[in-house]
Amino acid sequence: MFDDVKYLKFKSYLNTYCPHCRNSFNVERKDQKYLVYKAIYKEQEIELKLSPFLDVFEVESSVPIDINDKLTDLLCPKCKKSLIVEEPVCGECGSPVAEMIITAFSKLIPFFICLNHGCTWHGLTKADQNKIKLKIPRQEMPEQDMKLRAANHTEVPYGYTTELAQLEAGRCLQCKEPKCVKGCPVNIDIPTFIRLITEEKIDEAAKKIKERNVLPAVCGRVCPQESQCEALCILGLRDKPVGIGNLERFVADFERKMDLVKVPIISNKLNKKIAVVGSGPSGLTVAADLVQLGYSVTIFEALHESGGVLVYGIPEFRLPKSIVSFEVDYLKKMGVRVEMNHVIGKTITIDELLQHFNAVFIGVGAGLPVFMNIPGETLGNVFSANEYLTRMNLMKAYKFPEYDTPKPRGNRVVVIGGGNVAMDSARTAIRTGAAEVTIVYRRSRQELPARHEEVRHAEEEGVKFMLLTSPVRYLGTDQAMLKGMECIRMQLGAPDSSGRRRPVPIENSNFIINCDIAVVAIGNSSNPIIFQSAQDIKRNKWGYIEVNPETNETSKEFVYSGGDIVTGSATVIQAMGAGRIAANAMHNKLSAT
Amino acid sequence: MNNFSTVDEILDFAMDAEQKAVDFYIDLGEKMKNEEMKSVFIEFAQEEVKHKARLMKIKEERIFEMSAEKIADLKISDYVDTIQITPEMSYQTALIVAMNREKAAFKLYTRLSAKTDLPGLKDMFLSLAQEESKHKLRFEIEYDEYILREN
Repeated sequence: MFDDVKYLKFKSYLNTYCPHCRNSFNVERKDQKYLVYKAIYKEQEIELKLSPFLDVFEVESSVPIDINDKLTDLLCPKCKKSLIVEEPVCGECGSPVAEMIITAFSKLIPFFICLNHGCTWHGLTKADQNKIKLKIPRQEMPEQDMKLRAANHTEVPYGYTTELAQLEAGRCLQCKEPKCVKGCPVNIDIPTFIRLITEEKIDEAAKKIKERNVLPAVCGRVCPQESQCEALCILGLRDKPVGIGNLERFVADFERKMDLVKVPIISNKLNKKIAVVGSGPSGLTVAADLVQLGYSVTIFEALHESGGVLVYGIPEFRLPKSIVSFEVDYLKKMGVRVEMNHVIGKTITIDELLQHFNAVFIGVGAGLPVFMNIPGETLGNVFSANEYLTRMNLMKAYKFPEYDTPKPRGNRVVVIGGGNVAMDSARTAIRTGAAEVTIVYRRSRQELPARHEEVRHAEEEGVKFMLLTSPVRYLGTDQAMLKGMECIRMQLGAPDSSGRRRPVPIENSNFIINCDIAVVAIGNSSNPIIFQSAQDIKRNKWGYIEVNPETNETSKEFVYSGGDIVTGSATVIQAMGAGRIAANAMHNKLSAT
Repeated sequence: MNNFSTVDEILDFAMDAEQKAVDFYIDLGEKMKNEEMKSVFIEFAQEEVKHKARLMKIKEERIFEMSAEKIADLKISDYVDTIQITPEMSYQTALIVAMNREKAAFKLYTRLSAKTDLPGLKDMFLSLAQEESKHKLRFEIEYDEYILREN
């Protein structure tokens, strides 16, 4: 018995189930390391033994089976029903296959075995593979426990393990005309980098992403993929789209943790200098692209730490500072100079920069907070989200007195707004010990502009949501400190010509919320400082810079711009896309002069 | 407050009010430090010129329609704090100025309509009030869309 031994290179999965009875036909004794199937061979019932051994199934049969002979049936050991399926068939030899359900990474997944004993590859046709792929559920990243994480500033998702990443990558249909690439503002070759993950070539996947994106670890974490690349993923029509953002993050983290990042050697040095104002996503992209072309690049940053909104705006638990500093260090290693504490417009003007540099890129973002202009906004402890997050996050007020920034005193925090910045502020307040944190938003849950994931995280961590509510004034103590907020209930009006239902106050529905800290997170606009000494840079009525969309050049020659200071608040990857357009145009223009 | 006895008197008053608005915005535009805000107020003035032209057409053709359409009121201007007019105003402040002016005009015509019992005059006042509420809504939508974007 079991004298014919054959090794089949399957990935090893220890638990196997019948698709009919769903009973496990795993080894019955714990010390046994093999599965026994009943099979029909030449009209005779035989036994097949499969022993998982590392990543190989060792197959033995009770009678010798000739190579290229086919089993005519394979039966479930429990319900005795046939496991043969009519479709799909083996992609290698066209033979029938048997379907089993296996568990891999806690998920049930169909798995097929070719019944041709001589077939060395038990694969399936591409169409059949795709049918199977559709059955693999989207793999979510493991996360910190919600109670634990509400008391620390460590990142919430742990990221994919290699196994989870490969399983998720295996869902990609590898479309011939991938729509996801069109959804990506910098057109990353998404199917190729995902294929490289399935082939366990993670370092090559990282290279593929970096051809188009210099900040993959950042984008993998904070870009709203659900409204960009993943929104166009064909799998999303039937099920959930491929976790492109999660995979991008996995690749970038893998490369960093395994020390695979290689700094390119730049041999072609040009005698031309570029000034980049602001070290946010657009500025870093311009710097990376141009330094690799041989330009001498200097970044001017107003704050004491580089990264722009990535470090002052996005909290540690969503984007660790170490990741941003790693990316900036990578640029420094390529030769980019970074000058901190330089407020362009005050310390140096744009005209002065143009005397020393061949071209200037303005990527200062939209850093001026917008307030609602309601009574009481000047009371103590009414903060803009910018100030609140900069204090708590960048200046580490939560570590006071270890750090010099004092934490605002207050236990009942209200956050006005429903975007990602509002969620970041609320979740920061929870982590810094506030007893009660409430988001006050004028519209309904459906209109919340924050990412679903951020809303879910906030709710899990204990943030309350007061929807269809708008503040109308702040109330203060005798010492002009906040003690409450008068609000009014709202209702959504009839759709207007644009189809949007706008919030309208319900008369006499006013009520008071007791609170001692209010954080206004309703949006940002352009900071006018830089323009006080550069009136010749044309702006629109919102204060954003007007550029030629083909080149991102401003009305002032040799001055380019991109990112939030041109478009208003947008995504990291859109800012990077704008930086890339500007870098290309700067290179073209400077090459011709 | 004026006493009106004919529709023409009302229209003359309304055209005069629109002209005052044109002058107000042009004057404000001239005071602005930056070019973008200058052009914002010129744009507002141009809108008021169009409103005046519409009234002039009504006066000439002696036809006006009372629409049954209910104009939405987002009531944004009811809750914003008083603002100071400075040469460095932002677009947000400019919108508040505009919303408040349109709201004041709406309230004026509504009050006037309540004061008269003559059907022709009443309808004219109501029609003007409706027109002003449309103008206010145009600014409120812009405020709602861009200033209160994440709110």
